[in-house]
Amino acid sequence: MNKIFVLTPLIILLIICIFSLTYLLSGKDPNKPPSALLNKDVPIFESSSLYNSKNIIKTKDIKNKKTLINFFASWCSPCKIEHPLFFEIRKKYPELYLLGFNHKDPASDAKKYLEDDGNPYDFVGVDSDGLIALEFGVFGLPETYLINEDGKIIYKFMGPLTMDILKNEIEPLL
Amino acid sequence: MSSLVGFLSLVFAIGINFYLFLSRYIFKFQKQKFNLFIRFSSLLTLLSFFSLMYAYVVSDFSNYNVFQNSHSNKPLIYKISGTWGNHEGSMLLWLSILSIFSFFFSFTKNIEDNFQKLTLIIQAFLHILFGLFIVFTSNPFLVNSILVNEGLGLNPILQDPGLAVHPPILYAGYVGYSIVFSIAIAGLFQNTDDEWLYVAKKWSLISWTFLTGGIALGSYWAYYELGWGGWWFWDPVENISLMPWIAGLALVHSLMMVRGEQAIKKWIVFLSILCFSLSVFGTFLVRSGILTSVHSFAADASRGIFILLIFFIVTGFGFLVFLLKEPKKSNALNLLFINKVSALVINNILMIIATLTILLGTIYPIIIEVLYNKRISVGGPYFNSTVIPIMIPGFLLMSIAPILSWQTNKINNSKKYVLAFIILSILVLIQSYFMDFNTWGFVGLLLGFWIILASIIAIFSSYKIKINFKFFKIINPHVAHIGVGIAIVGITCSSVFKNELDFNLNEGDKFNVNGKTVLFEKIETTNEINFQSLRGKFLFDIEKNQSKEIEAGKNYYPVSKMITSEAGILHQWNKDIYFILGDQKNNEWFVKVLINPFVSFIWLGVIIMMYSGLIAVSRR
Repeated sequence: MNKIFVLTPLIILLIICIFSLTYLLSGKDPNKPPSALLNKDVPIFESSSLYNSKNIIKTKDIKNKKTLINFFASWCSPCKIEHPLFFEIRKKYPELYLLGFNHKDPASDAKKYLEDDGNPYDFVGVDSDGLIALEFGVFGLPETYLINEDGKIIYKFMGPLTMDILKNEIEPLL
Repeated sequence: MSSLVGFLSLVFAIGINFYLFLSRYIFKFQKQKFNLFIRFSSLLTLLSFFSLMYAYVVSDFSNYNVFQNSHSNKPLIYKISGTWGNHEGSMLLWLSILSIFSFFFSFTKNIEDNFQKLTLIIQAFLHILFGLFIVFTSNPFLVNSILVNEGLGLNPILQDPGLAVHPPILYAGYVGYSIVFSIAIAGLFQNTDDEWLYVAKKWSLISWTFLTGGIALGSYWAYYELGWGGWWFWDPVENISLMPWIAGLALVHSLMMVRGEQAIKKWIVFLSILCFSLSVFGTFLVRSGILTSVHSFAADASRGIFILLIFFIVTGFGFLVFLLKEPKKSNALNLLFINKVSALVINNILMIIATLTILLGTIYPIIIEVLYNKRISVGGPYFNSTVIPIMIPGFLLMSIAPILSWQTNKINNSKKYVLAFIILSILVLIQSYFMDFNTWGFVGLLLGFWIILASIIAIFSSYKIKINFKFFKIINPHVAHIGVGIAIVGITCSSVFKNELDFNLNEGDKFNVNGKTVLFEKIETTNEINFQSLRGKFLFDIEKNQSKEIEAGKNYYPVSKMITSEAGILHQWNKDIYFILGDQKNNEWFVKVLINPFVSFIWLGVIIMMYSGLIAVSRR
């Protein structure tokens, strides 16, 4: 009787730990917080090109094509890490439209960054005051959004993309 | 630079603790030298914490953690509180508080040297576990590889003065139980005299008082910030803090009652291990991101597994020692039909059942999701209909427990109490006849007032009234129970007799709340730095000269696309009038007014409980 009393906590502990461990290992990804914008229309935006201020991109310009939107800045170190990956995407999915938004950056720094590390984007929009990022609900750089042909956000990722995420989560959607 | 200092001192502190941990088996230290090492490692941990805080204060964005979570435009107080407003920093805070407790414990006098040393070694072991967790999975001192000049921490939702102090106080409660845990384990290993019980009592009272304060602050925040008019939601994170609180309450009472009975001593050890285990379990649930609530930060699975491992080691170790080394010797339990000991035993059993009930409700969704891959949530109805009925007999017993005798079934002045109870019952019955009769309301009010009344009778009939510190120490148990009674009255009134009024209004409309005329003056929108605010202005009781202005509305934070509700609350001693501004439809604004009677009694009751917690620390 006495032994049972002292053994019970250990048994309960074991049960709790087994269930919690199974739960943790079941592959639920806490890095993917549900976005308020998921499965909603792309916010309305208008931005000029980094290289030519007369060249404007608007929400309706990305209709009817799959678009990957990436928020980046020259001062953002994790952006530098994920940068090479966009060249891979470029090579593998030539039909995917790559739209980069340069966030709160002096134009000269941004140009130098893209010169040094290369420019994988089809279009680099300027978001110097961060208003477009506000509209998208960006928490921190880098952030990447996948938009389908109907102009709906179907995927969002916070932080630097990795090969695994590209393979397991983005590619099935393409 | 500060990142480097912080990281090195953290690693160094862990190293010292490792050395101390080995010292039990390899090196033989003098007590003085040993204590010196403990204090040194505690100060190093604190240095590490303050380096991080410094990095936040000067907005040193070369630190990745600061870069992610702070912004140079933040007010100073939120830069400081930003230190623990993220996962990494809050774990460092956890470790720092553990160190502070070890630091002060190393100054404890009147206990055997070996016992103190063993307790501190167990603390050092905990320090190593959590320290390694920080270094390997949650390092707040990572450095940005390139230069940045602005941070990303614009998220304004946690910017609230209440929330700035809530985590440190709550953690002080959680982590405080580590020392109680260490004392209990050391007690099992050494089987010394009962001196350790008094030491454990002091520390568990301190932890319990902090925990009470932390929970109350969080609850108060929810009341005025979430805008639902309630103060307790049975949110998983609330439940997690409530479990060690109830277990801690049982522990404190057992420690005060113990007179060398073996069974109770065993029980105390069990509760000590349980309290800290529940604290670590709470940390695991929150930090692993398993539960979704306002407290979840983005976390990753490896952290969850690491903390789960710590939880498993700590709890498993604790209960294993408990299994193998039972407390020896001492006298048997003096159980009578109704004396102090039997009341204590019954109350302890009830509290443990309540804790287990909450535990089951909290982890049930995890179990269901693992087994059936379905997502469910267990909410208020389950907890209200299980936990409250379990607690009621305990409250009833509590009202008379302090006046019960140790040796006999006799209650002094029992006639007085019976008479008082009958009169009180009639009064409450009459009161509830004139208000709408509600069973829960009747039971709650009777219980609350009865606890207060019985405690007051006990004070006046058992002691000579004097106004000095010693007297306050003697009547302290009764004072604590009066606090509980007041809180019960507050809880009952504000949940059972809550009144809800809905209005559809235009600007300039007058309407009636509780017999007073209220003017809906106007709607105002302003643009603040990081949010847009919408406010409805109300004038309460306009017939009087000193009408009171109430503002209720919402804030819209474009960064996070979140709307927060900002309730307008008019505090009166006997009720809160709580205004919520809803949406606009057909040019009319939806306005909800809640009348929450006697909410302030809850906070008053909590303050009294905390006061007597502190007084009890000084009482032997």
